[in-house]
Amino acid sequence: MATIRTRSRAREMLLRLSAYLTILVALILTLFPVYWIAANSFKFDIDIFAVPPEWLPRNPTLKHYDEAFIQRPFLRYALNSFLVAVGTTIVSVVFGTMAGYALARFSYPWQWRKQISFWILSTRMMPPIVSIIPLYLFFNYFDMLNTKSALIVAYTAFNLPFATWMMKSYFQDLPVELEEAAIVDGDTRWGAFLHVALPLARPGLAATAIFCLIISWNEFLLSLIITLTEQSQTLPIGIAGRVTQYKTYWGEISAAGFMACVPIVIFAFIVQKHLVRGLSLGAVKG
Amino acid sequence: MPKAEKETLAAQLQPGGGVERWAERHLRFLMLAPTVLILLGLTIFPSFYMFYAAVHKISPNPDLPWEFVGPDNFARLLSDTQFHVALWNTTVFTVVAVTTEFLLGLGLALLLDKFIRRLTFLKTVLMIPMMLPPVAVAITWKIIYEPQFGVLNEIMFRLGLPLQAWAGDVNLAMFSIIVADVWQWTPFIFLLMLAGLASLPVEPYEAAALDGASSWRQFWDLTLPFLKPVIAIALLLRVMDALRLFDLVFILTGGGPADRTKVLSLYIYQVAYRFADPGYAAAISLFVLFVTIVLSTWFMKRMRLAE
Repeated sequence: MATIRTRSRAREMLLRLSAYLTILVALILTLFPVYWIAANSFKFDIDIFAVPPEWLPRNPTLKHYDEAFIQRPFLRYALNSFLVAVGTTIVSVVFGTMAGYALARFSYPWQWRKQISFWILSTRMMPPIVSIIPLYLFFNYFDMLNTKSALIVAYTAFNLPFATWMMKSYFQDLPVELEEAAIVDGDTRWGAFLHVALPLARPGLAATAIFCLIISWNEFLLSLIITLTEQSQTLPIGIAGRVTQYKTYWGEISAAGFMACVPIVIFAFIVQKHLVRGLSLGAVKG
Repeated sequence: MPKAEKETLAAQLQPGGGVERWAERHLRFLMLAPTVLILLGLTIFPSFYMFYAAVHKISPNPDLPWEFVGPDNFARLLSDTQFHVALWNTTVFTVVAVTTEFLLGLGLALLLDKFIRRLTFLKTVLMIPMMLPPVAVAITWKIIYEPQFGVLNEIMFRLGLPLQAWAGDVNLAMFSIIVADVWQWTPFIFLLMLAGLASLPVEPYEAAALDGASSWRQFWDLTLPFLKPVIAIALLLRVMDALRLFDLVFILTGGGPADRTKVLSLYIYQVAYRFADPGYAAAISLFVLFVTIVLSTWFMKRMRLAE
């Protein structure tokens, strides 16, 4: 009996040890690439090219930040990214919240609720490359190429379905009785939504907005096609533009790339409780 | 419209809060309408427009009229070897990357579930890769893969292994893209599987333990069936994302070397812009759209996601 117990305890210890070891390895693998881009952004070119690599920047410098954000228009790109992300988020969250609420609460004739939910979800599955040709021709026709509004329109195409599904899932979690009580007390249906459901859904609303910001901030393909000017290009396009056939500006793209990651990491921690739901479009409640 | 309804509508539209009452009555449609209209405009309209473009030869010169060519662009799909290469590359990437991410993510979740469940901070740190801008991920891996001064070749050198060109090597380019994608997206599967495991009921396991079922049997007969809906969603989202792969390839390899990493999205981009043939690009896009719709509908119907 005693030997069995020691054996199972030993097995337990071994399992624990291997689990913590795995977590450690996973942490290193996760963080090293992020660390590496940050480290390179603070090195002089000659140190970036050092063989063997310089694991810690020996001679830290802000030279590449100056090159990217002062001498080259990366500050402008970042501002464009920010404005487009905010615009898209506002449009998507306002309309998505209303639609999400309607799909969570109201009944419709002919199974519309199911059909429309399904259709909205499937628009989210559409690969962006598929819509670029019509969008390009469309924006060209209306003289909207190289504008931030065109980007906001294009990004709404995949942020709005996301926001709708997220908000639908949050509203479905709220008890309907509180809204019913408000209506009994004389509030209108719209009033019950505005004064009762919406305040209760505030955490979900914030999480949805932050996810929309992240999705827009990260987008690359549509911006690559719609924008060609400094006044309209976003940060990812600016970074890609410094990877040319002849030369890659390692220091500059490291600095700009690292700066593009910083807000995302902050956002990730703000929405950490909502990550599962956000990443599964509200399908898995974590 | 029935007569009675028409009368009430007229009555409601009279001044004195009538419009508000009408809006209140139709609230369920009014709240849904903006989203439905926007999405109709942004997805359904482009799809039809693309069909229109796909049956034309479109000159890069915008002043020239479109020339109707009927099904020619679709017929080209059959004979265009570059398209076949792109289709094959996308398939290989999707199957290998998603399978690897799934097995790694599920394995890690099963191993670490008990230990990491309450460590929210640590979990969030592990989730960082998938939140990052794909362009930033791509340049990060570009630096790591760099043949002359990259970290990966330094490790190979220390281990006494032959140095490689990685993303620049004909045989390793696709592998390099897949590794970067696995790095970015395994956390996604891991996180969803952890959420699935956290919601498992306890009783069946107690019963199984009483019956003396091995942990392997418990996994196969209990855990896996319970996880099935979460697995389906995770796989659906990953497959849809893998089919649209663009950013990583655009920055890391540009589709090369020797077209080994040319995926469908990149090929459509090249046909539309470099070869200036939007009509044919629209035909390929329709093909991709068709595949996406078939795959996602099948998945979603099967898993009853819309309910």
